[in-house]
Amino acid sequence: MKYLSSKFTQLFIGILFCCSIPIWANDQYQIHIATLIGIYWILVSGLNLVVGFTGQLSIGHVGLLSIGSYAFAILAGKLGFDPYLAMLVSGCLGGLCGLMLGLPSLRLPGFYFAMATMAFSLIVNELVLAQGELTGGGIGLAGPLFPAPFESAIGFYYFVLAIATVFTWASLNIVRSMWGRALISIRDSEVAAQAMGVPIFKAKLIVFVFSGFAAGVSGALFASLQSYITPDTFVFELSLFFFVCIIIGGKGSILGPFLGTAVLTALPEIAAPLAKLGNLFYGLLLLIVVLVIPEGIGRLAEMLIQKIRPRLVQTEPMNPDFSKLTRTLANHEFKEGGQK
Amino acid sequence: MLNVFVAGLAIGMVFAAVALMYNVMYSTSKVLSVTTGHLSMLGGVFGAYAISILHLHWSIGLLAAVLVGAAFGWITELLGVRRILAKSDEHLWLLSTLALATIVQQLIGLWWGTEPKPFPRLIAQDFNAGLLDQKFWLPIIITLLMALGLELFYKRTMYGKVFMAMSEDPFAARARGISTDQIRQMSYLLSGALGGLAGFAAGQLTFAYFALGLTLTLNGFIALAVGGLGSNIGALIGGVALGLLNAFVSHWFGGEYQQTMAVGLLLTVLLVKPEGLLGSRKLRPV
Amino acid sequence: MKCKFKKLGTVLSLSISLLATQNGFADTLKIGWLSSLTGPLSSAAIAENQGVELAVEEINKSGGILGKQIELLTRDTAGDPTKAVNFAKQLAFTDKVQFVIGPVNSGEGLATVPILASAGIPNIVIGSLDELIDPVKYPKAFRMINTNRQWISTANDYALKVLKKSKVAIIADTSGYGTSSAKSATELLDKAGIKPVYSVLVDPNKTDLSDEMNKARAAGADIVMPWSAATGLLARVLNARGDMGWSVPVVGHPALMAAQIRKLLNKPEYWDNTYAAGYMSTTYMSDGKLPAPTQALVNKVRPKLGGGEIDILFWWVALGYDAVKAIEYASKTAGSTDPAAIQKVLEGSKEFKGVYANYSWSPTEHNGFPDSNMTVNSANTFKDGSFKLAPH
Repeated sequence: MKYLSSKFTQLFIGILFCCSIPIWANDQYQIHIATLIGIYWILVSGLNLVVGFTGQLSIGHVGLLSIGSYAFAILAGKLGFDPYLAMLVSGCLGGLCGLMLGLPSLRLPGFYFAMATMAFSLIVNELVLAQGELTGGGIGLAGPLFPAPFESAIGFYYFVLAIATVFTWASLNIVRSMWGRALISIRDSEVAAQAMGVPIFKAKLIVFVFSGFAAGVSGALFASLQSYITPDTFVFELSLFFFVCIIIGGKGSILGPFLGTAVLTALPEIAAPLAKLGNLFYGLLLLIVVLVIPEGIGRLAEMLIQKIRPRLVQTEPMNPDFSKLTRTLANHEFKEGGQK
Repeated sequence: MLNVFVAGLAIGMVFAAVALMYNVMYSTSKVLSVTTGHLSMLGGVFGAYAISILHLHWSIGLLAAVLVGAAFGWITELLGVRRILAKSDEHLWLLSTLALATIVQQLIGLWWGTEPKPFPRLIAQDFNAGLLDQKFWLPIIITLLMALGLELFYKRTMYGKVFMAMSEDPFAARARGISTDQIRQMSYLLSGALGGLAGFAAGQLTFAYFALGLTLTLNGFIALAVGGLGSNIGALIGGVALGLLNAFVSHWFGGEYQQTMAVGLLLTVLLVKPEGLLGSRKLRPV
Repeated sequence: MKCKFKKLGTVLSLSISLLATQNGFADTLKIGWLSSLTGPLSSAAIAENQGVELAVEEINKSGGILGKQIELLTRDTAGDPTKAVNFAKQLAFTDKVQFVIGPVNSGEGLATVPILASAGIPNIVIGSLDELIDPVKYPKAFRMINTNRQWISTANDYALKVLKKSKVAIIADTSGYGTSSAKSATELLDKAGIKPVYSVLVDPNKTDLSDEMNKARAAGADIVMPWSAATGLLARVLNARGDMGWSVPVVGHPALMAAQIRKLLNKPEYWDNTYAAGYMSTTYMSDGKLPAPTQALVNKVRPKLGGGEIDILFWWVALGYDAVKAIEYASKTAGSTDPAAIQKVLEGSKEFKGVYANYSWSPTEHNGFPDSNMTVNSANTFKDGSFKLAPH
């Protein structure tokens, strides 16, 4: 119980910290970056369950983000729906497509599935360009703002924070329950999990639907933040970026990928030359993490802490009472068939 | 119409060559590397560099392409596969090869530029040869030779038989004294060399372009999946089918739905026969 | 647990406040420059950057603008609209620049122009997509490059009126730019009463275009008009035309004249009978000389480009140079860098003389590039970044 409550305490403190950001952030740009981190995190929290916990290597989630963004831009922008409703519909559409994406995972082995997801993201882009009447083709669409009080930068930030909290809480819940153990067992050994009676198909599909819903909602918020979306934004390298965030953060944890997302989003802004070397850097980082610390940086931090301040193994010194021992042995010496 | 057929056949053969490379790497390591397409890209880029920029003879350009391909194949094995297999985590090799593929694509993009650059004419031939133009026939002939060569290699040479032994049962192979690590290295070197050769042959068709790697990886994989993992003839069939499909769809419907059609083919075949047309049904270890 | 987050909080706040104080000196005039120096279309951006840096250097040497030195803040967007948006906001809110030039890619521009407009920062737009400019929605955005319409209508006019062709084949690529250009081209032809006999969208990496060219010939086309910025595709169109021995003129996008195309052609002759929309300012006149302002700039820039022959399209350099010069002109005439005053000056300029063109804006027209500067050049007359006129 102590373990469980500490995770939620962490979440609570984290939220308090995030709430305070607009107070000491200097200008709209920093709030914009913080909001972007929040939006990416919504998608990554869903993807984390798929990749980090269930071990399904989906490298095509940018397609779901694209679907969510365009759905929102078309519904709320072109057709004039209520933005909140549009966001929900985008989420549901994302969930549906997530289901479609997850179906192949039931049959295809790892590499096949990864390639299928990559092809999925390329197809989404192709369809967006081809259906110019609906999506504006190469010109793209404007992303409408949410009504007051969420139209200002700070207001929108709090809105995104609230939604991100909901998704984090949801994924924490999934993870700490039986579901979480089931997902990890599927990742580590599908055959053994099946033998233990874990319903793999249902688990995988549910996780995909959840991640699709998260991606759809994230897409809607993304369209609103960027204020304009074009097909150029949703390139395959963005999928790689999300993927790296999770692997860096460490599979099987929630905090790790969150820190990974925050750091990797903020990094190109702080180090300007990184813009052109960005993708190279992500590739290198992924390679190093996979080779050296496959459990992610979270684990690295734990390992370092262990080295610096090793948890002392509790030893209780044993002081046998010799006199009592001798007496007992003397009394029972040859009663049990005598093994000295 | 014949024009469409030949163009489709040519690019299909390039995909088939990539599928052959997948097979070679898979046979000894059970790993499907994301870097496969990039090996061909390197062949094209370095061939163009050697011949056009350093003004060397085309045979040296060919050698350069093959060597660079082999070198990158070796790097793939060294960084992407060896340590990962030792740790026996099922899918880490996907991540490591994906990382390597990204790294090499970005490096080549930074060095060679992001625009397609010309690939030199290899054999003196007039340009209005139409369908007999070498840009079509070079990849076709080279890939067919590659497939033939691999079949002879597997059936007639000692090393070929060792490869086959390793692909059937690595533990038994090791028990018989085969140094599985070395053989795996060899297979990656071979695959890289084949990739360099294929990229060099296809250079006039595709131009020397840095973003070719990912396209070839995906399409080569579709060719492999359709034809069946582990079968060289299947790789040829799969590649040709994909190339012709692309060409005819483009001819009839325009280029807008090319990717969708290609994946449609893949999914159809996988639904009907999951192990591909000529693949062997695998037993699942329980 | 609590300590961990407190430490994290202090570290983050310290680092961010450190970043914030790096605002630079208060007495410089800050110009933000959103450029895609790497990634797609980087060759154009790098050339434009040459022009921008030269202009900044020149102005600073002669005392700056209104007594202040220009501080140029260059941000490489790498062709990614998300990065473009982030950098636009950074330039607007953290660096607090007075002007922004760019971005180069229209795709990035579609996202950044509204952002800079809502921040009230004057924006010199150098992307060609028509939708980037709107005097009502974006009152402080002024365009200095020609619009996509100007390219297309110039090419169409040449095809229909000078070459007197009427059976047009349009070949465009499946990228964003290609699809929208093909649409605009068809619309403009329609206004002139012409319907294309053949129109196709092709994947920009398709390895062989002879099928499409055969179909165009079979449909009876007497002119081929490609709308794509992909040099590989354009080169393959020209190669297919040459290989099949079809002597049809090709008229289209300026990328047809780019130096890289020459290298991708099977034979140098394939560049004959190829014309593209170009500019009077980068055209050799009948006496073989460039217009004086262009020649002067060429002489200034040549040492920076290596001193030898110039193998990039020179109008890119001229555009970058003019963008900074326009900022200087507007600030000096207004006497301040107040955005409202800048807007008034630019909207009232009848003819601001630049190297690339002589611009004029008005309260209802924020596209400053004059139609009179548009012309058509012959691709194979490329020399030192400029061209000769196409036969008229």
